Amino acid sequence: MTEIHTMPIAEPVLEVRGLSAGYGKRAVVHEVDLTVRAGEIRVLLGHNGAGKTTLVRSVFGLLRPSAGTVRYRGEDITRRRCADNVKAGIALVPQGHGIFRSLTVRENLELGAYTAHDPAEIRANRDAVMDLFPILRERAGQIAGTMSGGQQQMLAMGMALMHRPDVMILDEPSIGLAPNLVQRVMEAIAEVNRALRMAVLMVEQNVVHALPIAQSVTVLRTGRKIYEGPPEPLGDRQYLMTLF
Amino acid sequence: MDLLIQLTLNGLFNGAHFALLAMGFALIFGTTGVVHFAYGPVYAVGAYAIWALAALVGLPFWLAVLLGIAFTAALGVGCYLFIYRPFEISGSPPFVVLVASLGLFIVMKNLIGIVFGTGVKTVDSVAYDVHFVGNAFFTTVQLGQVAAALLVGCGIALFLRASRYGKAIRAMADNREMATVIGIDTTRLSILVFALGSAVSAVAGALVLLRDGLNPNMGFGAVFVAFVAVIVGGVGSLRGAVIAAFLLAFVQSLGMWQIPTEWQNTIVFVVLFGFLLARPSGIVRRA
Repeated sequence: MTEIHTMPIAEPVLEVRGLSAGYGKRAVVHEVDLTVRAGEIRVLLGHNGAGKTTLVRSVFGLLRPSAGTVRYRGEDITRRRCADNVKAGIALVPQGHGIFRSLTVRENLELGAYTAHDPAEIRANRDAVMDLFPILRERAGQIAGTMSGGQQQMLAMGMALMHRPDVMILDEPSIGLAPNLVQRVMEAIAEVNRALRMAVLMVEQNVVHALPIAQSVTVLRTGRKIYEGPPEPLGDRQYLMTLF
Repeated sequence: MDLLIQLTLNGLFNGAHFALLAMGFALIFGTTGVVHFAYGPVYAVGAYAIWALAALVGLPFWLAVLLGIAFTAALGVGCYLFIYRPFEISGSPPFVVLVASLGLFIVMKNLIGIVFGTGVKTVDSVAYDVHFVGNAFFTTVQLGQVAAALLVGCGIALFLRASRYGKAIRAMADNREMATVIGIDTTRLSILVFALGSAVSAVAGALVLLRDGLNPNMGFGAVFVAFVAVIVGGVGSLRGAVIAAFLLAFVQSLGMWQIPTEWQNTIVFVVLFGFLLARPSGIVRRA
């Protein structure tokens, strides 16, 4: 039984209705509803194999959903190509290697703006991203794969910001990072959300670090939504355990 | 001493030929991940097309080469769109694409034999000079092979470094899914690299037509050496493929100082196995 708590009212940016998806005949996500509102950070929680990554890949267009709809600013984008979603203002920071490891930091950032064509706009965006993540300016000429995990995660986010999206989807940005780096990455996500008023949909397993920056939370279990609401009730460990 | 100079020169000129073939193959394999064994017969068909346009139709050789390059590029794109792309769409595993590539290789190789016959084809309308270094010698065509390898190599490197599509190709070669995520149309880029890679093979084909003439089996040696050069050089590295191509050519050529000619291909295999054991990621390692 899904628990629904009262949510703050803001304009929906991304609306997912009855979405089902999987791989071949194996269904992973079952009829999930999800709304990401303007300027909010929504965290999508769930254990390993809960279908979080499958859900966001379907939303972004990397995977074809078997049922349901995805709307972006009211427009039906279900089964639309990734390139069109990027142009429209949706960015995905995939799990793990969200960068081009053999290219320099500068080249990675430029490629982040692949769908943009105005060189002046690309330069301005690059400067803005480097202001947000100064380490990327310092390491502009460095091969991206030689940077630390935390720096690579900053670069992945910087790439996503290069085409000035309205909504950024992050798939487990804390994965493989040391705890102090996880904290720094979460702060960076909150800073991006604050500074750019950008909606964020973040898949996470790291409840401890993700909840403090969340404004709303959706919990999946075995491909089904079991909780939607504010993060506060999930701070209660016992309550959280009952959900998981 | 003359023999050593001659073998060194042969190594240099064969290296240039191998480098052209390896660059084309590396572009395709490194970017799309398709082990395009039909690259060999595509190169051969391109060379035969140039021969047909020059010797049968009677076009000036330079025009035959230009048309032949365009035809070979189109043939490469056809291989991708009609053979490999359907497997990509259906999500077939890589080995299925590999088998399809081998099938295409056999079909095309046999078609060349059926259409053009098994005799060696040459072009007599192009005259070239012979130059001597002591008793060792080389021809203008062989110099042309080195010049072509240099020009094509620099051209591709510049394209990959400086152009938007070039950077997108490097990105796709690095991480295909991430390329899709940032909005790169990977199908369009695959078409581009199949066209480019095949066109490069046609340049090699035009020069080998002048140097040695054509035979229906020429595609096997070409794809064999290109594949080994790409693996030894490090998959995804054009520079590595070129270095490996010259290395293979010098080892093959200088090996003939002491080893009989029929062992040439065995030498290539020994280099491949040696490298795979000592340095599995190839000469140029990626980050």
